[in-house]
Amino acid sequence: MNEKIQEIIKRDICESYNSNILRKFIDTGLEEIRACINCGTCTGSCPSGRRTALRTRSVIKKALDGDDSVLKDIDIWLCSTCYYCYERCPRNILVTDMVIKLRNIAVEKGYILEKHFNLAYNVFFKTCHAISAKGENNKKWRELRESYKLPSLPPTVHSYPEAVKECQTLMKEVKFKKLLDQIKKKIKK
Amino acid sequence: MMEISTSKIGVYICHCGSNISGIINIDQLKEFTSKISDVVIVKDHKFMCSDKGQKLIKNDIESGLINRVVVAACSPRMHEFTFRIVCEDGGLNPFLFEQANIREHASWVNLHDPIGAFEVAKDHINMAIAKAKELKPLKKLKVNVEPSCLIIGGGIAGMNAALDLANEGYQVYLVEKNPTIGGHMAQLDKTFPTMDCSACILSPRMVDIARNKNITLLTYSEVVDVKGIVGNFNIKIMKKPHYVDQIKCTGCGSCLDPCPVVCRNEFDLGMTSRKAIYIPFPQAVPEQYTIDMDKCIKCGICADPKVCEPEAIKFEDKSEFLEIKVGTIIVATGWDLYDPTELKQYGYGRFPNVISSLQMERLLSSFGPLLGNPARPSDLKLPQNVAFLQCVGSRYYREGGNQYCSRVCCMYATKQARQYKEKHPNTEVYIFYIDIRAFGKGYEEFYESTQREYGIRYIRGRIAEVLEDKEKNIIIRSEDTLSQQLIELKVNMLVLSCGLEPNIDSAKIGSLLSLQKSSDGFFMEAHPKLRPIDTLTEGVFIAGVAQGPKDIPDTVAQAKGAASGASSLMRKGEIEIEPYYAIITEHLCSGCKICQSLCPYGAIDFNEYKKIAKINPILCKGCGTCIPACPSDAIEQNHFTSYQLNSIINILKNK
Repeated sequence: MNEKIQEIIKRDICESYNSNILRKFIDTGLEEIRACINCGTCTGSCPSGRRTALRTRSVIKKALDGDDSVLKDIDIWLCSTCYYCYERCPRNILVTDMVIKLRNIAVEKGYILEKHFNLAYNVFFKTCHAISAKGENNKKWRELRESYKLPSLPPTVHSYPEAVKECQTLMKEVKFKKLLDQIKKKIKK
Repeated sequence: MMEISTSKIGVYICHCGSNISGIINIDQLKEFTSKISDVVIVKDHKFMCSDKGQKLIKNDIESGLINRVVVAACSPRMHEFTFRIVCEDGGLNPFLFEQANIREHASWVNLHDPIGAFEVAKDHINMAIAKAKELKPLKKLKVNVEPSCLIIGGGIAGMNAALDLANEGYQVYLVEKNPTIGGHMAQLDKTFPTMDCSACILSPRMVDIARNKNITLLTYSEVVDVKGIVGNFNIKIMKKPHYVDQIKCTGCGSCLDPCPVVCRNEFDLGMTSRKAIYIPFPQAVPEQYTIDMDKCIKCGICADPKVCEPEAIKFEDKSEFLEIKVGTIIVATGWDLYDPTELKQYGYGRFPNVISSLQMERLLSSFGPLLGNPARPSDLKLPQNVAFLQCVGSRYYREGGNQYCSRVCCMYATKQARQYKEKHPNTEVYIFYIDIRAFGKGYEEFYESTQREYGIRYIRGRIAEVLEDKEKNIIIRSEDTLSQQLIELKVNMLVLSCGLEPNIDSAKIGSLLSLQKSSDGFFMEAHPKLRPIDTLTEGVFIAGVAQGPKDIPDTVAQAKGAASGASSLMRKGEIEIEPYYAIITEHLCSGCKICQSLCPYGAIDFNEYKKIAKINPILCKGCGTCIPACPSDAIEQNHFTSYQLNSIINILKNK
């Protein structure tokens, strides 16, 4: 071939069509995905996708093909984990679990919505619960509990404030705190 | 036969291409083998089963070097027969041969462990040699083969096999559980890809069956018992009561109008009704009527001589039992359509305008419920747009589905879509598919012209769910996977292309004939490549969808194959059976009859004069059940004597 033409036409030859994400799925025991026939049942069943841009099959297909952009995209956070896709998948693939795994991978890489981060860092880590039962807004729930002759606060850290420390130790042990700190650094950058 | 005093064993090790030699070091194995006592020759060959390999063995036998043969190669199920013939050709009793399976049992299962594979191969060779030393010459038994065949199932497969065998001059008994032959093919309108009218090519064959003198047609009958072995099966058949004298009935149909009972018509899959007295469809063979006693209210109107002039109605009719003797059996039990009711997301059974493909076939049929003018069930209006959904219940790895591909749905949906468009060119027809499998002769061309000439829209995507609107239209939710877009499509009617399943009664037939099933539930062939029509029960053949989903040309081809298999057995008039039967040592038998009560084949008689048990070698299948049960150790099984088996165990024990 003419050398000049070779310069103009740049060829992009890929060495492998495998991706790290596929390997991570397989390591987590989600190897059924290798038998996916791309029938689209998951996308068609998705109640969230009917209102948003989430296309379950395309997201997972892109991830498997090594396209990291799905991790940055908001789409994976729009799944409501209703499990319709899993229930209807003809190949018995744990589609919903794969979306959750994708979120894990995204967070490890520092892709997380600010609201989610705030919830994890400022509410969950600090108070050891995700939803508060205290405060004026939640008064009617406390009254409802009382009407059933239950203690007004549930038997969680709400009733045992001394357990907060234990929970936090636990979160540090499983490296949840470390993950949050890393993300915090990345967000600041 | 001369008594063989000392054993001179020749061991022949096969490379099986590289199947064995690729994992196991053959030279080391030869060296190991040559040191075993009584082994006089060890040879190897790339393919021991080849002509050259066989000659190696034969020459050694003929020159008197060896009097026992051990071949270390594949499974005996593959080539035991081959090497027995080699022994026989060389002048050695074929039962002085033993095969060590070092392929399936050693190399194939230890692909990544050559050392382990070598150790296993050593054990197998050791065991085979140990048994070879104890082998005794045996004589095969000869059994006469009755020149008659039982064919179970009167669909297109059974009918074709019956005609082939009858034309060769054999007596054929064609048993069909329904009141007519014809099977599912009678329900079809046209056949792909040639668009032949199904009834036009089927009906003449049905008439041929009824007319053929060599065929005993037993419709509305079931096989209830099978005894005996190849060549001599004793069959018991139950003829269910028709409640109409099949000789007197002329098929005039004057009983139809007066019959007050209206019930579901199975032939039209519930889309029309029939009377309690009925024939399944107008071209039915035989054309005599039957009363459905589950539905009949016994009003007696049909029995009035003014209604039935030949006075054929016979309320007191009873089941009749018929006993026949046949040499061979062909099983052609066919299929049932997958029931999609459990797949709730498709709405079958809930939404009237979601129908199954066989219902669509009846709607398209010129003698169907609407005489070939399809309309949707809810309001009998002409659907302006119809969708088909492929792979319903097939390629489905969840509970309640079938994992296999049913092979015919892609083509029948294409055919139905095309027929519909032919009748109504201004309508829209969609086919939702995952893959289109147009594998047969002329199928791809048929698929192409359906797209190009008829404009059928193929949408790649499996329907996720369907809804129904107020006008009973069907709203389809799916993804078009090629454009990655969500679709919400309104159609007037949805056809579910359901897969094929083994006939519900095939389980009964299978257990009567001790047939095995593969994981898909269809009958298992003796070998998937080389014996696809035989079964492991000798003398029993399978044809048609009973063996696995297939289209009409494949079914007919297999039926011809089954007929040919049966005929070649019967042509010889007698066959040899393996002498693996058990023998009673008379002076040890105490006459306790325990063995007799346990024998699953009824092969043990009791000699009342001598007060001992006696085994019929022809009926005995060598299963070995009686041997450990005998309290006085009086039973031995040929080729598997306790002495032979112990010699195998000891060689491993003393390793």
